Amino acid sequence: MKTTLFAVLCSALLVLGIAGPGNAEVGVTETEIHIGQWSPQTGPAAPWGAVARGTDAYFKWINANGGIHGRKLVHHYFDDAYNPAKTIAGVKQLQEQTGMFAWASGVGTACGLAVRDYLMEKKIPWVGPSAGSRHWVNPPYKYLFNVYPLYLGDAQLLTEYAITEMGKKKIAVVYQEDDYGKQGLEGTEYILKKHDMELVEAVPVAITDTDMRPHAMKLRQSDADAVLLFVTPGHVARVLGTAKAMKFEPQWMSTTTCGDCPLMIAITKGLYEGVITASFGMAKPTGHVGSVQHINDPVHERLAKFKTEIYEQFAAKDERWGYTFTAGIGFVEPLVEAIRRSGRDLTREKLVEELENMKDFQGLMGRISYAPFDPADPLTRVGQQEIFLQECTANGGSRILTEWQTTEFIPMSE
Amino acid sequence: MIDFLQMIISGIAVGSSYALMALGMVLIYKASEVPNFVQGEMALLPVFMAYMLIYSYGQSVFAAFFGALAFAMLLGCFIEFAVVRRAKNPNILGLIIITIGLEMVLLGFVSWKFGADQRVMPFPISSYSSIMIGDVYISTLDLLTLVTALVIMTCLFLFFRFSKLGVAMKATQQNETAARLMGIRTHRVKMISWGISATVGTVAGLLLAPVFMEPYMMWSPMLKGFAAAVIGGMTSLPGAVFGAYIVGIVEHLFGGYISMEYKAVVAFAVIVIVLCVRPSGLFARHYVKKV
Repeated sequence: MKTTLFAVLCSALLVLGIAGPGNAEVGVTETEIHIGQWSPQTGPAAPWGAVARGTDAYFKWINANGGIHGRKLVHHYFDDAYNPAKTIAGVKQLQEQTGMFAWASGVGTACGLAVRDYLMEKKIPWVGPSAGSRHWVNPPYKYLFNVYPLYLGDAQLLTEYAITEMGKKKIAVVYQEDDYGKQGLEGTEYILKKHDMELVEAVPVAITDTDMRPHAMKLRQSDADAVLLFVTPGHVARVLGTAKAMKFEPQWMSTTTCGDCPLMIAITKGLYEGVITASFGMAKPTGHVGSVQHINDPVHERLAKFKTEIYEQFAAKDERWGYTFTAGIGFVEPLVEAIRRSGRDLTREKLVEELENMKDFQGLMGRISYAPFDPADPLTRVGQQEIFLQECTANGGSRILTEWQTTEFIPMSE
Repeated sequence: MIDFLQMIISGIAVGSSYALMALGMVLIYKASEVPNFVQGEMALLPVFMAYMLIYSYGQSVFAAFFGALAFAMLLGCFIEFAVVRRAKNPNILGLIIITIGLEMVLLGFVSWKFGADQRVMPFPISSYSSIMIGDVYISTLDLLTLVTALVIMTCLFLFFRFSKLGVAMKATQQNETAARLMGIRTHRVKMISWGISATVGTVAGLLLAPVFMEPYMMWSPMLKGFAAAVIGGMTSLPGAVFGAYIVGIVEHLFGGYISMEYKAVVAFAVIVIVLCVRPSGLFARHYVKKV
């Protein structure tokens, strides 16, 4: 009798366990929503680790304000040191041992590519990869929602501006030998072709190379009047410094990756003044074209509010209030908004549905829209195509040069 | 022709910082017979200490640099005394692993203490100024690095040739047992070698820091310095310097005329070629021990 009763009880517990307490979604409990993220806290890409810390502070702020529909966001982020092998190991461990409801952001194209297929096969939503790579959307994936404007777009807008607004005739490119650099190069060539022009020089940079003298020399030989830089902030600092010593001073232009004017002015000892970069947000171009904004004294109302309420209260003592930290908030705002819109009955399918219904959502970045999944249409998952141009000023401010501009999606050539 | 000359000059300029790292590696190899993979971080920590002295303690650049060099000397001695010497009858592999472990510890400490943010070191001369000789340029910082490297090389040459300690170091390297029997305190000699090596490396670090500072800043110069030391034969100071200039010049000519993509790794191809032709390196004297 006792044995039978025990067996019945075990069966009942097993059934209840499988059925769950009214909500069967992985990573969602009565009181918590588990979100995963990878980020380089050590290693050569460690400066981008602030993305995850920005997300973390944002989630803490949400939790301090009551969470979302009675649930707290539990943020699990781990250091992958920008090493794809560590990314995949960490993602699998967290997903299979703890169980994440969704994944947020995640720095690095190579790191993201290492886990993309795994997450998509398991139908786990992943929102806002922290890299502007076309690989996220071409082809599109049902559960992958891009937020970061593609590098192809940065290149288009910068090149178009250099030609039509600044009258530049000789354009050169310095590009990192990876997805970031090569897509920047492709976007530049795409616009040049439209103007029946050709690049005067394209100089590749190996990520491990720290000596930029030959690169600067090639640029000087090309006599370029505008040079677009699709490299890391460190390489930008080295290229500008070396070129300055060679007395080669064209109009330098760069991407959102190097759009942190206060940081760039500091590490270039002021050489970044006058450099034009693309920007995906953190400033307010509408109604302010021509004026100067500074991230420490934001004109953008939402940014000002987040500085006071998130950064000053939830960031670590030594954390720098900069574009990388704030981008960590911007990349995950659509995810948080979709969780909020999904209501109490949160499931992955509901989340995807709410993201697909998102139209012109604007947080810290440009307007973000998705559409119902169409495997033939990358635009259903691109999210943000808006960027604007800024010029860095001597004190680390940004002079707004353009309104929000919508860039064109360039599909991958066969 | 102008381009060729520019590449040679630029190659020599970058070769000077490789030369300082290579000298540091050779000094330790001569003393402890280990390729020292903590060479870069033995320079990194003092460089960040100098930065801290300037910004947190308001010291002048010169005082901070002097402090960093003194700290480097102590750090090198400490590593030899507290870690390397404690290894019980280590083989080469064991010593290499010890230096790699130390590299990780020091790098981790710098990353933890100072953070990953990029920064630049204040410096008495601008890293962006240059002098032009016709159409060929050399930055004043590169020129300073070149002169510093030459001065240090000369000092080391005189030190090993004429000073008692220098001769003791040479004796210890050639036959440690015999040196000890002659009354040389070989442990102390080795410890000082590590200290001098760290100081020479720190000079390279302080000359690189005005351009760019981050926890990984010494990794590439250390590898290039290692390549240069191997080309030169690991035990030859002039060989290390010659190797460093070869690496610098080949990198620049390769980048300028053949491929910029593979410029950063061409040094390692040079190592393979040199070791195929002369397995002991270009300048090494081959000691044959009688059994």
